Amino acid sequence: MSIILGKDDLAKYPFLEEAGNYIRETHFDLDEFNRSEFLHIIERASKRIEFELIQGKVFIDLEKYDIELFTFLVSLIIMNYINEDSAIKKFSLFEAMRVEKFLVSDLSKEKDLTRKNLLISKVFRDLFQLDVELDPKNNHLFKMNISDYLIRATSFNEEEWKLIGRAVDNGYVYLDGDETVRLIRYEIYNLMYNRIKNMNITKIPEQIKIHAVLIKNKLAPAIRYSHTTTDLPPCIKKALELLNKNENLPHSARFMLATYMLSSGKSVDDVVLLFQNAPDYNEKITKYQVEHLAGKKGSQTKYSVPACSKLVNENLCYATIDCRGITNPIQFGRKNRK
Amino acid sequence: MKKEITLKNNEFIFTLFKEYYFKNIENLRPPLEMHNREYGIMTFDSRVIRHLSFSKLGNLKAYIIQNVPSDIFCSNAYYQFPTFPINEKGWKGADMIFDIDLNDLLLPCQKEHTFYICSNCHVVFRDLTKICSACQNTKILKNTIPCFRCINALKKETKNLTEFLKKDFGIKEENMEVSFSGNTGFHVVVFQSNYLMLDSKARSDIVGYIMGKNLSPESLGVRNDKHGYRIKIPLSGYSYGWRKRIVQKMKISEVSNDYLNKFIKKIGGYQSFKNEIDKIASDLGLKIDPQVTTDIHRIFRMVGSLNSKSGLSKIICNNLDKFDPMIDSCFFDDDKNVDISLNTPLKFSIKGKKYNLDKSISTVPVSVGVFLISKKLANIASCSS
Ligand code: SF4
Ligand SMILES: [Zn+2]
Ligand SMILES: [Zn+2]
Repeated sequence: MSIILGKDDLAKYPFLEEAGNYIRETHFDLDEFNRSEFLHIIERASKRIEFELIQGKVFIDLEKYDIELFTFLVSLIIMNYINEDSAIKKFSLFEAMRVEKFLVSDLSKEKDLTRKNLLISKVFRDLFQLDVELDPKNNHLFKMNISDYLIRATSFNEEEWKLIGRAVDNGYVYLDGDETVRLIRYEIYNLMYNRIKNMNITKIPEQIKIHAVLIKNKLAPAIRYSHTTTDLPPCIKKALELLNKNENLPHSARFMLATYMLSSGKSVDDVVLLFQNAPDYNEKITKYQVEHLAGKKGSQTKYSVPACSKLVNENLCYATIDCRGITNPIQFGRKNRK
Repeated sequence: MKKEITLKNNEFIFTLFKEYYFKNIENLRPPLEMHNREYGIMTFDSRVIRHLSFSKLGNLKAYIIQNVPSDIFCSNAYYQFPTFPINEKGWKGADMIFDIDLNDLLLPCQKEHTFYICSNCHVVFRDLTKICSACQNTKILKNTIPCFRCINALKKETKNLTEFLKKDFGIKEENMEVSFSGNTGFHVVVFQSNYLMLDSKARSDIVGYIMGKNLSPESLGVRNDKHGYRIKIPLSGYSYGWRKRIVQKMKISEVSNDYLNKFIKKIGGYQSFKNEIDKIASDLGLKIDPQVTTDIHRIFRMVGSLNSKSGLSKIICNNLDKFDPMIDSCFFDDDKNVDISLNTPLKFSIKGKKYNLDKSISTVPVSVGVFLISKKLANIASCSS
């Protein structure tokens, strides 16, 4: 393979500049989407969106590059037309995870180092200004500057991203493909989100509009979880607030929320319902996880609510004066109730 | 009467500080991009003046000579508008700073040379006290006169820190600066460009790394599960960073699934393995002050300025091994004398000379007088020359 990216790559990474160039070179006009031969593209885009937004699964089907490029374009147009922030966020997250899947497999399976390097430079360097290099001693590993790593990793609250647990040497952090890609999830997410938000389409092709309206109707209005929030500790309130705004909560926050709700007597189903506004909600998985926390699955141990000190460390604490004297969120409000 | 003594002490120190800045103003070392920094001073009547800015070294020097502060500070941050309120300064990055202080080292000799001093009547206690038995005052100061063991331990810790910074963080020798703080510690300042933009959270992660905090068995590929533990060797291996340190210390000669499995079984399972890691990490981790490093808006003592807690100067240490704070950062006269009355019997050495003073009035060189009065262990009796 020469120094340019192959068409197969464009199919997987339709957001790259080269992909845009390709469409431009075909002198394609949006109105052409009204022609019958494009119907299957529009249908495929609808399917992709429904799959992600309604079923909550990553769409991994991969077609020939021209089909992919146009499907991607139509998906963005539809999302832009639907114009519902929570839906756009959810779609962006799933698209980011889709890209992640391809990237991880390309970075780990690709044997041709020139191609591997090219991919790294196109995606990481050009798109996200992140300097990633192949480790010269082990070409399954990637290295990046400690500060580039920290800027991203500190937004994840999970233990495993702490610098101390990482392979660090001479100013670099060494990561496997999986980890390297995971590190830019939010950047891919933001890229998707901004692409959709910034699209400026004066006249949406009729065929696309018909499909967009169909999807919009199918997207049941999100049922907001309403909990009387007066008696909740600030950390829990904050997490609920973020959930209601369809923000993506870190694992540690979900853990806190779920264990708290279970401890305060909510049923597994109630707790599962709580998470339905999360952009990556999947009922089956969430249910399994919550049951696990409740001690109904696997190890049979019931998990307790993390202590305030731990939550402080995880940046989940939003203590107010009412938190005085307590060491665990579960104690919140008890003293006042005497 | 008490007030009079304090006044006299202050006057004595003030005059000498004034003389120091007049004669040694060249010692004052401007930071990089000095016009983008915030400066602050402490005055002899304990006021803090912040948000100062100087575009030229000459202006700063003139200001110091005119005002004779008790302490001089400069921001680790670079600002667009250094004189504005903190949220409007326009933060443009900050040097990464480290503080290694005697208080954090917890050495066994501490007790031998630590003093608790009543802030009001200056009575000295040798044991930790919350209230002065002489005047019932509750503000008690803690002072220490580091011994040579202390200084050596501080130097060793500082050296370990610079090694960490070089080996793990890839910081070049020419991008960091080691200095004696002027009192009981050493400072390391890193101005390598790729670290300057890090926020407080990222710096806190670096602190955790250097201190050896929260290293988990999971990061070494050992997971806790219902059957005890599970091993999954990380693809990124054990040849770097803390993973390497642990593997070496535990003498794990071969990092295969089998070997690790046997090893962990032998030492008693997941929890024992975790305890072992914690122990090694706390041994090899360094004792730095986390608050200093995570602060990206701090004003930090300036190189070449005097530390009013000791009368010693903050000074760059180009050769840490040979550095002796009680000689190299003491800039006051030895050929003039002063009479002081000690608040407690004392044994110490300054400028290579040993002193063993009792509680009566003693005639000592000015350099010794400044040191003991700054430490609040002595009062001025009268001046003589
Ligand atoms: S102090 Fe505890 S209960 Fe209060 S906000 Fe923080 S974590 Fe929550
Ligand atoms: Zn007193
Ligand atoms: Zn000592």
